[in-house]
Amino acid sequence: MVGIVSYGTYIPRYRIKIADIAAAWKKDPDEVIRSLGVLEKSVPGGDEDTATIAIEAASSALGACAADPKSIECIFVGSESHPYAVNPTSTIVGELLGVGHNYLAADLEFACKAGTSGMQAISGLIEAGQIRYGMAIGADTAQSKPHDVLEYTSAAAGAAFLLGRNKLIAKLVSYTSYSSDTPDFWRRDGIRYPSHAGRFTGEPAYFAHVAAAARRLMEKAHCRPEDIDWCVFHMPNGKFPRAVAKRLGFSHNQLAPSLIVDTIGNPYSASTMLGLAAVLDIAKPGEKIFMVSYGSGAGSDAFLWETTEEVVSYQRSAVRQKKTVKDQIERKTYIDYVQYLKQTHKI
Amino acid sequence: MSVAIIGVSTTKFGELWGTSPRALAREAVFGAMKDARIAPKEIQALFVGNMLSGILGGQEHLGAFFSEELGLRVPAFRIEGACASGGLALHSAVGSILSGQHETVVVLGIEKMTDHKPEDVAAALMAAGSQEERSSGATFPGLYAFLARAHMEAFGTTVQDLAVVAVKNHFHASLNTNAQFRNTITKEQVLASSKIADPLRLLDCSPVSDGAAALIITSNRRQATGNRRSVTIAASAVATDTLGLAQRESLLELKATKKSSKEAYRQAGVDPGDIDVAEVHDCFTIAEILAIEDLGFAGKGKAAAELERGEYTLNKAKKLVVNPSGGLKGCGHPVGATGVKQVVELVEQLRMDAGDRQVIGVRVGLAHNVGGSGATAVVHILKRA
Amino acid sequence: MLSPVKIWRNQKKIAGLAGKTGRIISWTIVRVPPNGFADQAPYPVAVVELDGGKRIMAQLVDWEDRHVAFGQKVVTTIRRITQPNTEGVIPYGIKVKPI
Repeated sequence: MVGIVSYGTYIPRYRIKIADIAAAWKKDPDEVIRSLGVLEKSVPGGDEDTATIAIEAASSALGACAADPKSIECIFVGSESHPYAVNPTSTIVGELLGVGHNYLAADLEFACKAGTSGMQAISGLIEAGQIRYGMAIGADTAQSKPHDVLEYTSAAAGAAFLLGRNKLIAKLVSYTSYSSDTPDFWRRDGIRYPSHAGRFTGEPAYFAHVAAAARRLMEKAHCRPEDIDWCVFHMPNGKFPRAVAKRLGFSHNQLAPSLIVDTIGNPYSASTMLGLAAVLDIAKPGEKIFMVSYGSGAGSDAFLWETTEEVVSYQRSAVRQKKTVKDQIERKTYIDYVQYLKQTHKI
Repeated sequence: MSVAIIGVSTTKFGELWGTSPRALAREAVFGAMKDARIAPKEIQALFVGNMLSGILGGQEHLGAFFSEELGLRVPAFRIEGACASGGLALHSAVGSILSGQHETVVVLGIEKMTDHKPEDVAAALMAAGSQEERSSGATFPGLYAFLARAHMEAFGTTVQDLAVVAVKNHFHASLNTNAQFRNTITKEQVLASSKIADPLRLLDCSPVSDGAAALIITSNRRQATGNRRSVTIAASAVATDTLGLAQRESLLELKATKKSSKEAYRQAGVDPGDIDVAEVHDCFTIAEILAIEDLGFAGKGKAAAELERGEYTLNKAKKLVVNPSGGLKGCGHPVGATGVKQVVELVEQLRMDAGDRQVIGVRVGLAHNVGGSGATAVVHILKRA
Repeated sequence: MLSPVKIWRNQKKIAGLAGKTGRIISWTIVRVPPNGFADQAPYPVAVVELDGGKRIMAQLVDWEDRHVAFGQKVVTTIRRITQPNTEGVIPYGIKVKPI
């Protein structure tokens, strides 16, 4: 049985209020907040990038379980904002974490589901007996064009999951994936900001793939929403995850703990993984967590997790060290729109 | 054997747009030779102190460069120790004479900084520090700001105390026709100048300058005593400390200053109380306060109060006058030239040739030249022959 | 320090320095930044004594005014040292943040 041995998250401390961005463009703040369901988003420091954020999350995951870094035999970093087009983020992370040299490293890209794809691939390697421990990381410093609607939600954060076979805090009961060629959101090589196809990103893209992957997993794992305790869906804004959860038959209470989007926005490859971490921070032993990510282009990775007794001591330690997702959401410093433009290198 | 200084000269210090390094060198060296009344053929070696020629201008190999420019086809060397390059060049020259290798040599300190953008000069000056310091985003003023902050925390030194140093040195510089700044300033002006690296402001910092200074030194007794205006070098000492400021044992002193001055006092057979005039390394106001303390003129933490009372100031000092030339702050700080210019000033003082800046009754002078944030310190003590 | 080889050698030094706690023993705020740091100014730089005695100089990040003080507890973290030019290798290094 493969599953989560430990996890770590990192949210940069800077926040900008959606209302302040709207005011800069002379839009009605209330209207924007209502239509997107987001209040504020996280902003990286000017000297932070996907690599430094990934290192923070992964260090936290390692620190939480006192694992020997050298036992990690695979690192996959999924992101839309890798610092280099050619040169792996995963080896920068590996080197600075001290994992040694006996590991498989690769960078993944699949819009917002690059991190969760890494989780599935590593799980496969572990189940095949090829490796004992692997670290799957989703991290992003999401970029968006000023004045574009994405500017209100594109955020920065990282989540790292150490997967293995022993001393699991959550077992991976079942997983599947659903993919198609759907150009809803993309960025050409060498171009700075992504483009999107407006309302096309809704039904034919997000909803179609999340629902399809979810239904396939429920079939495969023989489970229904009533059998499940918690659910996590990719959060491009505050509305989509709530809508898809309802459609699939989940209640708002099952979804609520995962909704980090309301207060930190959408950190792309870290979104679903952070939602999972937020749920693991509060789940009791023996509870089932249903998780579906979404990556534009398009595809969804679906997972069914079940917590174990070990999760309790993990949670206690995270609370004591103030490392829970909630702690990080609450540790914040507000900046204004000009400072936001400086920190995201637009001016 | 003793080493005497028989000729001195310095150019104006300042923003000398039209003057090339070659012209600066010719002016200083030929001026010193004229002052010494010796012919070129009597010079046996050339020691050049310079820090930035390579980094900023792409020109290294300055021994050969200036040997050719000056028409002095003799052994020629360039010595570098950041802002202590001039003092180190003199120290090396003294060593070559004491060893018997040469008899009469010229020491040239020279720097041309205004040809380049301020950001490039600032980055180049950080070559005086460590890689860790450069990576931390510290600037040269930043390094001395750490020292100021620590001094303020430990002894209650205030920014007003720092300002007194700048006011004093501008006053001295106003009496020096070669100084970069001829204007006097007030404490209020210092405290209102723009912030550079807290707590240091613009007027706490020495400027970017061009300039050159030269000395002719010899062990030739006939030259030395024949020239009634000669001065002897009674001590020449160097000490080294960690390159990076963070690794120093204490942020309240420059140990290299203490060590080199202790050795210099021993060589000259004097103690701090015997010094009548001193040219110290005030690259920033705090540096002068530290120098006065570390050289033993005042107790640790006590210099500021004495400066406030007028001590160390021309026409008011009771113990000794510090930086009658205007120091680095008032006279200017062409990095490689400063250490040599300090000695030129002392020689003029000891010859009673300093005009409006003359300190009465001088017999013993001390020059203190520092590299970086204190990794190198050079102290020379001069006596009237 | 933009030579890839020097950056590579330096990596090995910084790997061992991350995640260490210490206290500020002196500080300044740089307002006239050197080349490569313009976009970050003004910023504090601190001399830090790490637990165990080692002293380092590093930029203070994620700071508020109250953190720039003697004795402030900090932890070392890995950040970009400077904004690289569009073609160069990115230099990562040690900075400190208040805890």
